[in-house]
Amino acid sequence: MTLVLNIRDLQLAFKSWSGTSEVLHGISLTIGKGERVALVGESGSGKSVTARIVLGLLQELRGVQISGSVEFQGQDLGAMPDRERRALRGTAMSMIFQDPTSSLNPVFKIAPQFQEVLARVTPGISMSATRVRATDLLREVAIAEPERVLDSYPFQLSGGMNQRVMIAMALANRPALLLADEPGTALDVTVQAQTLDLMRALVTDHGTSVLFISHNLGVVREFADRTYVIYRGNIVEEGPTRDVFENPGHPYTRALMAAQPKITGGGLPDLVEGDRHYLEPRFVHEGVA
Amino acid sequence: MSLLSLRQLGKSFQTGAHEVRALQDVTLDVADGECLAIVGESGSGKSTLANLVLGLFPPTTGAVEFDGAELPVVRTLAHRRSIQLVQQNPASALNPRRSVGASLQLALDVHGIGTSDTRPARVAELLRDVGLPEDLARRSPTSLSGGQRQRVAIARALACESRLVVLDEPTSALDVLVQAQVLRLLADLRARHNLTYLFITHDLAVVRNIATRVAVFSQGRMVELAETETIFTAPQDPYTRRLISAVPVITEEEKTMRNGLSQS
Ligand SMILES: Nc1ncnc2c1ncn2[C@@H]1O[C@H](COP(=O)(O)OP(=O)(O)OP(=O)(O)O)[C@@H](O)[C@H]1O
Ligand SMILES: Nc1ncnc2c1ncn2[C@@H]1O[C@H](COP(=O)(O)OP(=O)(O)O)[C@@H](O)[C@H]1O
Ligand SMILES: [Mg+2]
Ligand SMILES: [Mg+2]
Repeated sequence: MTLVLNIRDLQLAFKSWSGTSEVLHGISLTIGKGERVALVGESGSGKSVTARIVLGLLQELRGVQISGSVEFQGQDLGAMPDRERRALRGTAMSMIFQDPTSSLNPVFKIAPQFQEVLARVTPGISMSATRVRATDLLREVAIAEPERVLDSYPFQLSGGMNQRVMIAMALANRPALLLADEPGTALDVTVQAQTLDLMRALVTDHGTSVLFISHNLGVVREFADRTYVIYRGNIVEEGPTRDVFENPGHPYTRALMAAQPKITGGGLPDLVEGDRHYLEPRFVHEGVA
Repeated sequence: MSLLSLRQLGKSFQTGAHEVRALQDVTLDVADGECLAIVGESGSGKSTLANLVLGLFPPTTGAVEFDGAELPVVRTLAHRRSIQLVQQNPASALNPRRSVGASLQLALDVHGIGTSDTRPARVAELLRDVGLPEDLARRSPTSLSGGQRQRVAIARALACESRLVVLDEPTSALDVLVQAQVLRLLADLRARHNLTYLFITHDLAVVRNIATRVAVFSQGRMVELAETETIFTAPQDPYTRRLISAVPVITEEEKTMRNGLSQS
């Protein structure tokens, strides 16, 4: 299988006036063409930063130390000039951000924001062409009134509608690699199922590969071919999704499964002794939940 | 006795040339001490309903009654005190320039709860109540984890000694282990302080294990209202059935239950 993404021994540290914090301690992860791979783990474990490195966003920040290698379609991203790496963003690879405010601009209506996304592969696309294409894309994510949504500011839409707008934008240019960071947290389960179907269709029709970051274990179980479990900056378990769920090997993976409430009832999950140390935040930094 | 009553409540918005009927004709009684879950389609008016209950904007039709009396469009301080909100995003809910202790203290000041002598002790007590160490009062909210921040937001709701807490997706930004803790805390506080919850969420597994009743919303309307057990074992409305049969699950037992519903 050809690898679309090949991460080898990736280490990341943030340097600041108060010292250095090591966030990734040498993680390795691969995604083949047309493969759906999940990355699960507690908040702060390093999921979003991994995706941000792949997208080339952290490399441009000050105080960031990265070692190891990230290859995208056989090319070493570390060796690539900034300009080339930026040109991949929003075209060959795109990301659904966890936080809507990092991809939707509150002071612009949705239509011009769509135009900017589409212009990355169709430079100079007109507003009328944008609206036609955006309308189709919004319908795909179960938006019932695309016209109204295009004429709205983000604050005029519900949380789940904004999230769907971001999903539609990320899929717009049919990327080879989709980085989906907690893509369904604000969606009801029927719309969520529909967006998962859409991502599956992208995988089958365009051979897109997906890195699917989520703390929703049910969704991971249904969507991913393979699952990596990350714990405090280390990959502690990896395998076909079915195996990871049926025979979790690491105590942390077992703790995650046990903490998931069940739709069959049985009460709120009990935290077993020993979970406590999984709960202590490892790093606390400004602005990251 | 019902603590909160919604009477033919409705809200429309105007966006340019488009009229949005966000919420239509909702009549609903919330009993004192219950945990009513509000679930349903994204964009179906759940947050709009929450905002109407909180009095953040006036309804287009209908009224909100609290503790037997109709709430005015412009709420008094006492009204604002008795209904509190806990939002999804713990990051934006707390002022980053104020320490945790100062935020809690401010809530006490605004509502004139206690005296300047007793307030610091009350702040410490509130933190303990939500399972946080007292010395966290000095920290800035930006230095806290998501779960800790959500506990502080809950402590602030408790500070006001409110009777009704509106929870709008309070745990959806948290990972499962932290979520499990926060859910325990919420269940516990409701029992200890006889609180009433309006619990808005997309997570039906959470609903099953925490709610007394469930209201299901679709396209701006309430399509079903029933005991939690009934919603999950004998849902009546076609939308409710679709919703439950779309829940992603991890165990075979859950899969069997879900598939049973989608066939019947
Ligand atoms: N300030 C506003 N101006 C215009 N339209 C609005 C405004 N607030 C909400 N709406 C519209 O009202 C409808 C209901 O929105 P609401 O936020 O209540 O949905 P929700 O049920 O909470 O959805 P979600 O599950 O996605 O959070 C949506 O169509 C939304 O676009
Ligand atoms: N720009 C940044 N500066 C300093 N620390 C950061 C930055 N971004 C993330 N971190 C830290 O890196 C760790 C991993 O964060 P993240 O990848 O966002 O976690 P998650 O697994 O929840 O997505 C956290 O401890 C976070 O505080
Ligand atoms: Mg993250
Ligand atoms: Mg909402």
